[in-house]
Amino acid sequence: MDDYANIWLHRAKWAYLLLIVATLMSPVFYVMYISFNENGFGAAEYEFTTRWYGLIFSDGQLMAALRWTLGLAVTTTLLTIPMALLAAKFYKATRAKVAVVFLLLAPLFVAPDILSAALLVFFKNVNLSFQWLGDAAGVTFMDSWFRLGFGTTVIGLIIYTIPYAFVVILITMGRYNKEQTEAARACGATGWRAFWDIEFPQIRAGVFSASAFTVILCFNEYTRTSLLKGGFDTFTTVLVSQMLNEGMSEQSYAMSSFVSVIAIALIGGIIVFTLLRSEAAARKAQPVAEPNTAPA
Amino acid sequence: MTASTDTGLDGLPPVEPFRPTLRERVSGWAFYIPIVFMVLFFALPMALTVVFSVFERTMFWMEPGFTLLAYENFFFSARLENFLASMGYSLISVVVSFCLGFPIAVFVRKSVPQAAQHRVVLLFILPFMVSEIIRIFALRPVLQRNGLVNETLLSLGLIDEPITALLYTHTGVIIGEVLSFMPFIVFSGFLAMEAVPKYIFEVCDDLGAGPVRRFTDVILPLAAPGIFAGAVFIFVNGIGVALIPNIMGGPGAVNAGLIATQAITALDFPLAMAVSAIMMATLMGLLYVGHKLFDLTKILAPMN
Repeated sequence: MDDYANIWLHRAKWAYLLLIVATLMSPVFYVMYISFNENGFGAAEYEFTTRWYGLIFSDGQLMAALRWTLGLAVTTTLLTIPMALLAAKFYKATRAKVAVVFLLLAPLFVAPDILSAALLVFFKNVNLSFQWLGDAAGVTFMDSWFRLGFGTTVIGLIIYTIPYAFVVILITMGRYNKEQTEAARACGATGWRAFWDIEFPQIRAGVFSASAFTVILCFNEYTRTSLLKGGFDTFTTVLVSQMLNEGMSEQSYAMSSFVSVIAIALIGGIIVFTLLRSEAAARKAQPVAEPNTAPA
Repeated sequence: MTASTDTGLDGLPPVEPFRPTLRERVSGWAFYIPIVFMVLFFALPMALTVVFSVFERTMFWMEPGFTLLAYENFFFSARLENFLASMGYSLISVVVSFCLGFPIAVFVRKSVPQAAQHRVVLLFILPFMVSEIIRIFALRPVLQRNGLVNETLLSLGLIDEPITALLYTHTGVIIGEVLSFMPFIVFSGFLAMEAVPKYIFEVCDDLGAGPVRRFTDVILPLAAPGIFAGAVFIFVNGIGVALIPNIMGGPGAVNAGLIATQAITALDFPLAMAVSAIMMATLMGLLYVGHKLFDLTKILAPMN
């Protein structure tokens, strides 16, 4: 039976969809709710305040962790997006699609704890091997190449984020007609110029969305970061440490809420922007496609 | 006049077939960078877990050698029992996620206007924009004895006593897994459904197929690759994510991820690697079977 034949059935299905989204988001809303409580988490009495938001920037530990996380997120994004772009173009061109897609999407199917454990042991062994090589050669510059720290965390985060960025960019590329590149090349454009002037403007939205996803994923990642980071703290490791030890501070709830709102606004903005853009494009295309229906 | 220079079109300049320059050929190798990166830092470490799992344990690390002690520690202890139990609970999470999430994928594909479909699916990305640890941790006050769920059910008169099985039990772990991973069955189900032409639904309606028949005979077989991919994701993460049993489960809730992290904390690296190797073997086995049965590349068919 057609959904529209029974409008109430159709509405019930929409209500169910939104209920599931609301259920999935309920813990987030709860954190936001707590962040406005003067008495903090678990208090019997709720008293509204915005005080904790005023205090988040004075929490030294949290701000230092936030700076590290920002550094990780920016570095990871700057490396992941070009790689995902190259991978998507490689996927479109290669015949070995199964192997490429398996290699790039497999990290999604490996549990983070298992992958982190494997990477931790791998890096420690590689570092020991480089130290041994350095000792044998009488040099020391290789000693820190794979020591746990910023570099190893970035590698772990790239492996985590590249499947998401790859899929988002690939979806956008699916709408691109490659004959346009061939035409540009036939007109004498270099490969880079054909990409930058013809292809990139058409996939820009996907690239920006993938960048936003990557930054947000880096901000929220815990497992890989905690095992591969070495000596510094990140936003999530501070939160987890607080949760498991003395309990999260009110500033931490406020900061979590703050970061969540920025993330949701960013993704919500992308959704609204692409929706408005596609509607504007449809309005522009309609008189061309159907000239008889265009208003006089 | 050669074929390559003869356009024969109204005096337009001749079109030369483009040939990549040496510089372009060299820069073409750049396309292999992500592949090389993933081989070096993903495939190789995962493959080496097997090698490291047979190394000999030392006080703080391990040394090259050959011993199956880590596997003995896993297979001849309560760890195997916990691992198998967590597989069972993950299977339940897969079924619950499928029942709750897949109808959404079908509804979006079938009844939401084409231009809005991707946007609606993107709604399910929103929960991932918030740290998993915060989402899982915030479930505690919702599900605990005097939490939001129990208070609501009590006030509505639907229960006489608070339900205590919602938290610090295996049920709590299943709830955590479903809330964490269910969107993936929506994504992969929708991706698979995208490859199904929309007129198929109209044809089913025209031929008089009921909702059940349409689902079992048409939708399910066509969306099988996507459902399988989503199910594997939920299953593997269910038995591998330590965070959920750690926060939502009771003392008996253990899975492979937790065994691995506990082994690392106890500096038993060969055991952690043995657990990783077993998880990899499980994943590979599942993906191989799935690919043989459903051809998993069909999920990415719209992007080819």
